[in-house]
Amino acid sequence: MRLRPCGQAQDGQTRAGFSAYRRLISRSSFVALSALTLAGCSGLRTPPPKDPDALAEYKQANDPYEPLNRKIYNVTMTFDKWALRPVAKAYVWSVPRPVRNSLGNMITTMNEPSVFFNDVGAGKPRRAGDAFVRWCINMSVGIGGLIDVAKMAGYPHHDNDGGLTLANWGIPSGPYLFLPMGPSSFRDGIGYGIDQGLSPWNYVPRGYGLVSFNWAYNMLAIVQGRSAHLDELDALQRDALDPYATIRSAYQQQRKAQIEALKNDHRATVPLWYHVKNEQQG
Amino acid sequence: MTFFSGRRLVLGSLALLCAGGLSIMPAHAAQNTKQFIEGFGKQLVAIVNSPVSLPEKKEKVMPLIQKNVDIDAIGRYCLGRYWKLATPAQQKEYLELFHQVLVNAITDKLGDYRGVSFTIGSVTKSGEDEAVEATLLRPQQPPATMQWIVNSATGSEKVVDVIGEGASLRLTQRQDYSSYIARNGGSVDALISALKRQIAHHTAAATQN
Repeated sequence: MRLRPCGQAQDGQTRAGFSAYRRLISRSSFVALSALTLAGCSGLRTPPPKDPDALAEYKQANDPYEPLNRKIYNVTMTFDKWALRPVAKAYVWSVPRPVRNSLGNMITTMNEPSVFFNDVGAGKPRRAGDAFVRWCINMSVGIGGLIDVAKMAGYPHHDNDGGLTLANWGIPSGPYLFLPMGPSSFRDGIGYGIDQGLSPWNYVPRGYGLVSFNWAYNMLAIVQGRSAHLDELDALQRDALDPYATIRSAYQQQRKAQIEALKNDHRATVPLWYHVKNEQQG
Repeated sequence: MTFFSGRRLVLGSLALLCAGGLSIMPAHAAQNTKQFIEGFGKQLVAIVNSPVSLPEKKEKVMPLIQKNVDIDAIGRYCLGRYWKLATPAQQKEYLELFHQVLVNAITDKLGDYRGVSFTIGSVTKSGEDEAVEATLLRPQQPPATMQWIVNSATGSEKVVDVIGEGASLRLTQRQDYSSYIARNGGSVDALISALKRQIAHHTAAATQN
């Protein structure tokens, strides 16, 4: 699930006078929030257990803020149950699969700049090249990303985000966090903020309906992302005895695997079709 | 030359033979593991794609799973540190329930797929086990790559884990169970009664449909 806060969505006329007020509000709310977090941490942090086996388990779960995380998890899941899941179900019911696939392609393509910058940041120029080519091909020939032409041309999509880039720099994940947009960690949460900064869609100018488009795009991305996991999340909530712990475990393992995959990705500069052609000739 | 004295030559060639044998043996084992997964996968896919009803499919799949999956080992793994803390009676009851839960989880998946095929990729060593890469191809859906972890310590190959999108099923299950037990006063009985409830729900849902 991806959420994109959009600071530009303010009304243009009142912006100048409004921004000073907003800054004050945001600053004081930041102070209040950090005070609240600090005060809350003492009560929302689980102390490490004494028993060595239990301690090993505690360390493996890497979740000292579990009480706080569980609260956020419960709120998020309630919102999901009554709002997001029904909308996602309606979306799947009303929109045929080919259209959904095309919209999915568009969302993937429009996230490609963020993947590109992260690939550059992670020191993976060849991956960055692939992301760049994907962006160029799909935005033009692929009609704004609706058709994944780049994949047919031998440039399949690969994911990357700020959390993975930081991990590639050797920054440890820090404790697990459950944020309103899903499972995360200190590192991945910061990475999420970086991704917002890297996404050009958060810098669209006002006018020409671009801001509305950005909002529509973000909401669509959330619904589309949720609709892709309807069955999995239903099964998880039905089968797991402690869904919170199951999501935590799966997320942490998945991130570890993604980091490994990124580190071991030494792809060749030339695309797949070039190899195939050469092999056929040689 | 004294350097190539008879004994040295014999010892040297013996060492070479051993080294050669060692390098061949894992390759041989990998081949067996690959064949095992290929065979198991083919049988599974044949049942999934067969035009019989869902209950019939479930009945056919059950013995196949019992034969090829080391459910006891997975169950022990999933209970984690509480396995040692559980009494023999609790262990026995837990394993019986775990069998049902696992079989239910697998057979629930059967109805979801039609026209399935799969390809087998490389075999790599993963600790004492071997990991076989398999890609599941479903119509109109992106291919799903997973790894089957195969253990052959008992003499015959058995599946002990499946890794999908980087997450190990048994590890995820273990952390689910241990968290549940820890939140219920560290009692294995709490887990056992939860599993019983889960199975009861499942049968109720199955008979309703």
